[in-house]
Amino acid sequence: MEKVCVIGAGSTKYGKLADSITDIALQASVDAIESAGIEPKEIQAGYISNVFGIADKQVHLGPVIMSDLGIPEVPSLSIESACGSGSISFREAFANVAAGFYDVVLATGVEKVTHTGTEWTTTYFSYCSDFFYEGGAGASFPGLFASMARAYLAEYKATEEDLAMVAVKNHDNGMLNPKAHLRKKITVDDVLKSAVVASPLKLYDCCPFSDGASSVILCSEKFAKAHSKNYIQVIGSGRGGSPAALQGRQHITEIPSTKIASQAAYKMAGITPKDIDFAEVHDCFTIAELVDSEDLGFFEKGKAVQGVREGRTRLNGDIPINPSGGLKSKGHPIGATGIGQVAEVFDQLTGKAGERTVKDAQIGLTHNFGATGASCAVHIFKSV
Amino acid sequence: MLSKEEFINYTKEGKILARKCTRCGHLHLVTTYFCQNCGNKGFENTVIDGKGTIVTYTIITVPPEGFEKYVPYAWVVMKVDNSELSISGFMGGIKSPADLPLGTKAKIVDHDERGIVIEKQ
Ligand SMILES: CC(C)(COP(=O)(O)OP(=O)(O)OC[C@H]1O[C@@H](n2cnc3c(N)ncnc32)[C@H](O)[C@@H]1OP(=O)(O)O)[C@@H](O)C(=O)NCCC(=O)NCCS
Repeated sequence: MEKVCVIGAGSTKYGKLADSITDIALQASVDAIESAGIEPKEIQAGYISNVFGIADKQVHLGPVIMSDLGIPEVPSLSIESACGSGSISFREAFANVAAGFYDVVLATGVEKVTHTGTEWTTTYFSYCSDFFYEGGAGASFPGLFASMARAYLAEYKATEEDLAMVAVKNHDNGMLNPKAHLRKKITVDDVLKSAVVASPLKLYDCCPFSDGASSVILCSEKFAKAHSKNYIQVIGSGRGGSPAALQGRQHITEIPSTKIASQAAYKMAGITPKDIDFAEVHDCFTIAELVDSEDLGFFEKGKAVQGVREGRTRLNGDIPINPSGGLKSKGHPIGATGIGQVAEVFDQLTGKAGERTVKDAQIGLTHNFGATGASCAVHIFKSV
Repeated sequence: MLSKEEFINYTKEGKILARKCTRCGHLHLVTTYFCQNCGNKGFENTVIDGKGTIVTYTIITVPPEGFEKYVPYAWVVMKVDNSELSISGFMGGIKSPADLPLGTKAKIVDHDERGIVIEKQ
């Protein structure tokens, strides 16, 4: 297996964007290409993740993006895996470079939905669930995670205040991220007083609907060494699955795919959760960050709450989680999120994260899943 | 071929049509083609009473399309009595958590435009 590196990254701002889906995908891609210091002609394949291109009247995005990058002859793969599309696409890009098929590839993720309005998005997102049992019986995505939250709060004697602290922390980090969607300082009280979306989750427990695009350039170590001084190496990659419906899971407060994916990634990297300096995790809702940080092995089951109360996951804590602001504050353009997490790790480990830099970090982890964690990918990166 | 149709007809009678693996006995909801436990392809149909206890739920105030007129309503996960199966569905008339303590006994009553409909026993 070839060693694989990331040599460039770019992102648009996340939020409500005016430009079209292809415009924003191209803006991020061009940023990534320039950040890598390569020519488009050097790219041998494109991996383009997106879920609801239909909302902006463009599916099969791959060839459109490659054409506008001036490389219409280069093959592309257009990928959908719900909210996990980005990381799962990144994994395909990684695997193809690792296998030696390609030397240099582009992975771009994009989403453009905010113009459709709350009902359209709530409805279409619910098609990512196991629809017969979930969306088709009235469960929204906030509702599915709310069901996890109610079970978690009961099982581990946690409170809605504990959930709120996750949102407060991520908004604090998002304040330091110029590209974040919701740059607003909030308090525990603000969260508790915000409108209920799906009890026990309230508006500020939820990530927003966002538009945005992110892009990274992956390459072989040989290519990275010859072309760049500022790159990071992928040292672990893992994927996993879970029963599609929550009802099929033995424990509703755990996400099996996260455990399977992270264990595979730790094994490939030859490290343990203790070696991770910071993580970008899938906090689509405050409850998800607690569950994720346990499933990833940063805390024992039921103990993530204690970690949050003690500030251990804050920027200056011993295991900073979501320095970018996470899905909660940075935003969640679902096809782009997994790539955006890699872009954040790239910025963190190459000295480009400004005020939100995690001190002395050398190893970063990304964790991103589709739906309620039915599909998942975890990657681990090291500075060089 | 398996279809949801048959399964839906049973839910209208308050029953769950389950598939029991002929090799290991593991129970699945009806559309499984291979056993999730042992990989076997042989199943026998088993009809189970659609009764159980609520293990978790949410009360939805921002609904997907088609559910506006039911707001607020609950979406519940019910552990089926005397089996390892859980099943989820719609429960109307729930306004606050006080209306539905965890552990409440419930039953499947129907399937319609709201999906599987579950009520308190
Ligand atoms: C919570 C939710 C229903 C809000 O609906 P919405 O259509 O985004 O709300 P609006 O655009 O009408 O926003 C209303 C206000 O709330 C703010 N807001 C919206 N979502 C917010 C959020 N998640 N957190 C904090 N503030 C938020 C907006 O900025 C806006 O403020 P403004 O009036 O000052 O501009 C929606 O964001 C949601 O469902 N989020 C979850 C998304 C999801 O399921 N993703 C997949 C996860 S797996």
